Amino acid sequence: MTGSHRRILVVEDDPETAGQLLEQLTSSGYQVDLASTGDEALSRGATCDYAVITIDRMLPDIDGIAVMRQLRDDGIAAPFLIISALGEVDDRVRGLRAGGDDYLVKPFSFLELLARLEALGRRSDTIAKETILRVGDLAIDLISRTASRRGKEILLLPREFQLLEYLARNEGHVVSRAMLLQHVWDLHFDPSTNIIDVYVGRLRRKVDDQQAYPLIHTVRGVGYCLRAPG
Amino acid sequence: MLLAKTLTSLTFKLALIAIATFGVIVSVIFTYVYLSTTAYVRSRSDRAIVTESSSLRDAYEKSGRDALIDLIRQRTSDRSFAGHVYALADPSSTLLGGNLAKWPSEPSRPSGWTEFRAAVPLPNAADPPLVRAMLETFPSGDRLLVGRDISDLDSFTAQIKLAVISGVALIFLLAMMASILVTRRTVARIEQINATSRAIMQTGLDKRIPLRGTHDEWDRVAENLNLMLERIETLMGEVKQVSDNVAHDLRTPLTRMRGRLEKAYHGARNSEADQLLIGDTIADLDAVLRIFSSITRIAQIETQARKDAFRNVNLVEIACEVVELYDAAAEQDGTRLSVTGAREAMVTGDRDLIFDAIANLVDNAIKHGRGGGKVVVAIENGDGGPLISIADDGPGIPPDEREHVFKRFYRLEQSRYTPGNGLGLSLVAAVARLHGARIEMLDNAPGLQFNLRFAPPVG
Repeated sequence: MTGSHRRILVVEDDPETAGQLLEQLTSSGYQVDLASTGDEALSRGATCDYAVITIDRMLPDIDGIAVMRQLRDDGIAAPFLIISALGEVDDRVRGLRAGGDDYLVKPFSFLELLARLEALGRRSDTIAKETILRVGDLAIDLISRTASRRGKEILLLPREFQLLEYLARNEGHVVSRAMLLQHVWDLHFDPSTNIIDVYVGRLRRKVDDQQAYPLIHTVRGVGYCLRAPG
Repeated sequence: MLLAKTLTSLTFKLALIAIATFGVIVSVIFTYVYLSTTAYVRSRSDRAIVTESSSLRDAYEKSGRDALIDLIRQRTSDRSFAGHVYALADPSSTLLGGNLAKWPSEPSRPSGWTEFRAAVPLPNAADPPLVRAMLETFPSGDRLLVGRDISDLDSFTAQIKLAVISGVALIFLLAMMASILVTRRTVARIEQINATSRAIMQTGLDKRIPLRGTHDEWDRVAENLNLMLERIETLMGEVKQVSDNVAHDLRTPLTRMRGRLEKAYHGARNSEADQLLIGDTIADLDAVLRIFSSITRIAQIETQARKDAFRNVNLVEIACEVVELYDAAAEQDGTRLSVTGAREAMVTGDRDLIFDAIANLVDNAIKHGRGGGKVVVAIENGDGGPLISIADDGPGIPPDEREHVFKRFYRLEQSRYTPGNGLGLSLVAAVARLHGARIEMLDNAPGLQFNLRFAPPVG
């Protein structure tokens, strides 16, 4: 990821939230520009090339969705992450349909935001053309849809394969439980149980048991990360 | 009080308008009857006078004045001509014959109709009669007056007039009394409803409108209003129960968080302990937020706002996805989880919501079923529409507790300490209501079988 692609525009009208985001994103290595109104967002968004633009739906002057549409019409290609207190699926769908790339409901954990920003930022520069994904000694064959470690095949159910593939595509990055539900199961709500953990737990047993080192790591409070040691 | 309300009520005003309209019509009809009756009676009497007058004229013209005087004398003494008035006078108004005491002063005209009151009574009569007569002047200047006593006629028409007027008055009176009575009844019933409403506003929802047991439309209105009040009271009770439960379920983690933070605030900084504390606090906060979003989610489903997102979806497909998602959890629990039944069962609905509802039921079945038991999800196409059932072989729910489990935050005593927020079945109930699906809870002997009966798909 290049330097210019660590630049983020945060459109947020609450000064305290904006301050927190600025501080935390800066310490995570991002360059952050802040905009507190729709007008400011329009002028900043049009003049600078951002890796991701996060936008609040409820702005004091213009609706965040209108800002997003305007910037899209102006030819701005940066992915949008909509952040809103309107949490229901209908609002999400409306936001995504209007050109948003992802949707996060307030209140959110910063790690969740970071995971989604990373994923959105990557989407613009790494679209894998490979047919085999490799993480350490794990090989995932996207054509035959099989996985193996050190040449020994791991027997996976189709959904487990999708889960592993998604983790591998985000290698080294944290993916949240909500992101897994959204991308692997196409579910846009939180079943409010530990069902994902149980599911990942079983995948982990299949992938990591009796291996030289573990690949699937739990990230406390957020989700999971697939990475090889070293 | 009641009378004042009766007189100012809308029903009474409408009744008055009806009475006025009706009264005008009745008056017009009666006036017509009166006028035509009197005109008929008068014309009959006039015809008799004309006939008599012409026969006397004939006698005068044929046989002369003296013959006429004789004829008049004959007539006045004839009883069958009683009530007739005759007078013959020469040009100087000197009476030559007849039964009038003197030539009436009023008829100055040479000929035609006239009416006057005679100066003295006729024989066999008490009062001087009212006379209607026809005047004729012969070429010689002699004048003949033939008439009849119309006093009787006059009193007859007067009687008709009286009958008509009193008839109209009576009708008005009766209509007025009837409308006051009817309106009074209506006002009394409405007043009863009003009084109940006021009592409810002042004291509480436990008041009901009294029924009269007549099963009339007023009783039906009262019954429906009472049913509505009952429903509102139940809902209010539920809301209170829910807010109590929300308060309890939110207060518990909030109290924990507060205590923890307070202790840390007063204690010395210790980075390891602080980190643990902050982590626990975030986890508790997340639990609070989850309860919060579950409540708003159920509320949103209950407003039925999502029906426009309905599509035709395959229940079997959704059930298989749920079972697949819970496969790992069941495995961990040692529970055998399986799907059986039809390969396709289409319903009209929202995939995410149906998924969520089935997921909640499967989750409950695994959690509350027997460890090492089995959970079976079965789908069939029944006569009334698709049916999905989720059955476990655990302890089940006692029959008397079954209706309570849909209440928000309701948790059986035995499951008080397993994870969950008690909102799952409320969500299932809300989703079922939105989709017009019926929920049944059956004894699986042993265990619980949960049925969701959907309506057949639209289109």
